[in-house]
Amino acid sequence: MKTVIIEIMDPNRLGELVTVSKKFCDTPDIIALGKGDLPGTFGKAFHTSETISANLVSDISELLKKEGYEIIIMSATTIGTGLAGPLAVRLSGSLISEVTGVLPDLVIERPLYGAKAVMQCKIEKKPLILTVRRKYFEKDMLEGTTETIELPGGPEKVILLAEKEEKQEGIPLEDADVIVTGGRGIGNAENFAMLQDVAAPLNGAVGASRGAVDEGWMPPTFQIGQTGKIVAPSVYFAVGVSGASQHLAGIANAKCVVAINKDEEANIFNRARFGIVMDYKKAVPALIDLLKKEV
Amino acid sequence: MHIVVLAKVVPDYEVPSVDFELVSNRAHPRYTRMIGLYDENAIEMGVQLKEKHAASLTIMSYGRKEDIQILRKSIAMGGEKLVLIQGTSDDPFVIADNLKTAIEQLGGVDLVLAGRQSADMDRGIVPGVLGEMLGSRFIPQVSAVENEDGAWKVSQVTETGLRELEFVGNGVLSITSVPENVPRIPAVRAIFAAKKKSVQTMSGRDGDESWMSEVSVEIPKMESTCEFLPVEDMNETAMTLLKRLKEERYL
Ligand SMILES: Cc1cc2nc3c(=O)[nH]c(=O)nc-3n(C[C@H](O)[C@H](O)[C@H](O)COP(=O)(O)OP(=O)(O)OC[C@H]3O[C@@H](n4cnc5c(N)ncnc54)[C@H](O)[C@@H]3O)c2cc1C
Ligand SMILES: Nc1ncnc2c1ncn2[C@@H]1O[C@H](COP(=O)(O)O)[C@@H](O)[C@H]1O
Repeated sequence: MKTVIIEIMDPNRLGELVTVSKKFCDTPDIIALGKGDLPGTFGKAFHTSETISANLVSDISELLKKEGYEIIIMSATTIGTGLAGPLAVRLSGSLISEVTGVLPDLVIERPLYGAKAVMQCKIEKKPLILTVRRKYFEKDMLEGTTETIELPGGPEKVILLAEKEEKQEGIPLEDADVIVTGGRGIGNAENFAMLQDVAAPLNGAVGASRGAVDEGWMPPTFQIGQTGKIVAPSVYFAVGVSGASQHLAGIANAKCVVAINKDEEANIFNRARFGIVMDYKKAVPALIDLLKKEV
Repeated sequence: MHIVVLAKVVPDYEVPSVDFELVSNRAHPRYTRMIGLYDENAIEMGVQLKEKHAASLTIMSYGRKEDIQILRKSIAMGGEKLVLIQGTSDDPFVIADNLKTAIEQLGGVDLVLAGRQSADMDRGIVPGVLGEMLGSRFIPQVSAVENEDGAWKVSQVTETGLRELEFVGNGVLSITSVPENVPRIPAVRAIFAAKKKSVQTMSGRDGDESWMSEVSVEIPKMESTCEFLPVEDMNETAMTLLKRLKEERYL
């Protein structure tokens, strides 16, 4: 099937989408967005430096129609979400978002009810647009590079006034093998900082539940879960996190969950490998002391 | 200025996985019904804009008549008018088409705010589809909105940080949560007043849902047995934990 990937030139995101594309074709085409060189081998490769979805809809929908793509793959990220709905309307196509599985015969899998259920649906109409949830597909190694054809670029309707990157100390959440996440149970911003002392000696990163983000203790870019970052660390410490299904949806592929929560009934213990039923204010300092000595 | 906020009533999204049951591929009807979490963020943002710009604020929902009582919370929070389009479809294109018709019937709508994801379907599709159907700009994951001299300035939360964007004309924005739009708790007086508010209802239109067929909806098994570590001496607990993590090669 004639397949195209639309994605910014991030090797991790591209790699995952190439893996998905192989369910539909041998070598996908690509519309590469943003700055940089395009890693990987593609059929036709188009490029534009624009990354505001609203400014891309017209040009991309024209191109998709002209080339006659049947499958259009993006990641379920800001830009993918921004493009998917408008493109589906322009192309009169099908659209499934937050895809976590692709089966034969155009059967697509995605979670619903905060990943408490999984739906499989068969697509009956093409073109089919998919936005793929991060970290559910192994990334392809992306060998070689591909020359790109520049897209003309239309008038900017939405103007970028400023862009602020959220600084991360140490290793980025997505790549971390150890993540220490704090929830609303931490109680205040000062104590939240304590989690860094657990993460740092283990070369880990600190994350937050939506509860902690809503309290303003961490910026939204550090949120873990279905509407935050999807992560797959080896060890995931959940401290003062209740374990709502929407949070767990972000750590489905974590290997070992360690939960520290003072409520033994908390749902997080249903996902944890090791549980410590205790006030984190007692548990975490002891862990920090030991890590200082041992690591 | 006229702002519409889209709110969907969903089954309790806080039911833990172990208690979750399906009937005919959907959540068991016994669960309490409530407005979606992100929709409440959108309502809060709508109310703040109303207060700042003396805007009109309409809350709009596509769903069941029985859910009107639940939607009244949005009026208690500060919504002025409630419009319900009656229908039972879960199809994002059918929902968006019905919302589009109702928004066009209202007329003069400048801005539509939606939740980032519905708290049952978790898909984040309806706002983008609706935006395109209305011929409006669609911007997802918005955390702040301002209107300056007729132009909309919005903050968008991305994977790596924050973008400040500006556009002129009509927009559909899907709203993400930040401390500034944590939904207010309505005052008791406002809750009582909201009960008396008249609600505009209209019947929805069916649509073509044949683009996909549901093969199955299932509850995945969570296979994890938690080993609770003894907590009498926390120094020892920490030592046991670290040892086990190393033994089992997680660290
Ligand atoms: C569509 C949708 C998408 C969502 N997406 C996400 C998402 O991406 N990520 C996310 O996290 N949430 C998400 N949520 C929200 C989710 O449903 C929960 O509301 C949220 O995860 C709760 O955060 P929390 O566990 O920090 O807070 P709470 O649920 O308030 O839990 C706090 C926990 O801390 C414990 N505690 C309190 N004090 C202490 C102490 N001293 N020591 C130890 N433990 C203590 C309590 O026992 C409790 O279990 C989403 C919801 C919806 C509807
Ligand atoms: N039936 C509905 N009635 C009103 N608004 C809806 C409805 N369905 C979806 N929406 C809006 O669109 C957002 C995203 O929905 P979805 O695409 O289903 O994840 C929701 O958070 C709502 O704001």
